[in-house]
Amino acid sequence: MRELWDIFRKGIIAENPIFVLALSLCPALAVTSSAINSLTMGLAVMFVITANNTVVSITRKIVNPKVRVPVYITSVATIVTVVQLVLQAYLPVLYKALGIYLALIVVFAIILARAEVFASKNKVTPSFFDGLGMGCGFLLALLSIGIIRELLGTGAIFGIKVLGAWYNPALIMILPPGAFILIGYMVAGFKMLTEHMEKVKLEKVKLERGEI
Amino acid sequence: MSDENNIKNKVNHEKKYSIFQIAMNLTVTCLVSGAVIAGTYFITAPVALKTAAKIKTDSMKSLVVGAQKFNPIKGKAEWFTAEKDGKIVAYVVPAESKGYGGAIKMLVSVTPQGKIINFDILDSKETPGLGDNASKDPFKNQFKGKEVKQLEVTKDPTKVDQIQAMTGATISSKAVTKGIKEAVQKVTQFVGGK
Repeated sequence: MRELWDIFRKGIIAENPIFVLALSLCPALAVTSSAINSLTMGLAVMFVITANNTVVSITRKIVNPKVRVPVYITSVATIVTVVQLVLQAYLPVLYKALGIYLALIVVFAIILARAEVFASKNKVTPSFFDGLGMGCGFLLALLSIGIIRELLGTGAIFGIKVLGAWYNPALIMILPPGAFILIGYMVAGFKMLTEHMEKVKLEKVKLERGEI
Repeated sequence: MSDENNIKNKVNHEKKYSIFQIAMNLTVTCLVSGAVIAGTYFITAPVALKTAAKIKTDSMKSLVVGAQKFNPIKGKAEWFTAEKDGKIVAYVVPAESKGYGGAIKMLVSVTPQGKIINFDILDSKETPGLGDNASKDPFKNQFKGKEVKQLEVTKDPTKVDQIQAMTGATISSKAVTKGIKEAVQKVTQFVGGK
């Protein structure tokens, strides 16, 4: 249980797909102009990565290593198409808002990376939690970018006005340059956080050894 | 002895990856993938069709408030008449023009007398926060009840009977106005030629 929690947790902070691994930055810039778009995209990716990790892990002994990449891609493409069909039928507005980026989930580096690095070498349960953790990390990263951009760019969150009329929206935040600037600052902030956490850990170890 | 074993192992290893097996691997993968997608499509396709149709009628209903029936016009693709108590109260026609970020696709409702009732932007790539505001009031509101000759974009706030441009989005303002103007002209032509 403890192991599974560790696998799940590392995707959120220590190996966050966007802020630490810096994978799949393109959608992080493109679809985060509003919080609701970010949330849908994050959920879609979380579902795809978890389902794909599970499928890859189940089939890891049958799939021939020589053709594993085409098999993984087919698996991702199938799952993404299913998500697309479902969104188109039940949530057409969001389907339209995500546009081409939904189909592009197929080639997200993070999904193939988790299949190759983790799911193809591990049992089903850990692979499931690895996908879920990475997906959660991705979702949280996208959501935080989306909320900040929408708040600064339009004065609203999820389309609900939070800041009053006194606030003059900084338009640049919902345009692509704003995303670049914000992600830069957030990566820096994340680096500071992880460095601080490591320092605390190191001091704890030293303390236990009685060096201090 | 161990070398021999190694070679034997290697041969076995190579054998395991025969071309037939590899091909089978890919075939089965694609077969399963195809089956899954086909199954999902079988369930979602009718729902998607219904949702798309509903969105369309909803959008037309909001364009012509109070209309009970929408009938497609023969010979004009995507043209509709809106009927109320058996009388044609409006024409709902598509309009398109080139905006700042690409094509702007709209749906415009016009009375048979050539007055604008309302319009809806279906698809556009205008700058969010600037040209994007064309689908919102106060810009959108200006068009209600306007005729062809009033459809000119102006930056002069004293010209109240014309269309006031959106601040920072003159190109988008002009594009939307031009598209609607053309649609109104087409409708008057169509009604007059009847």
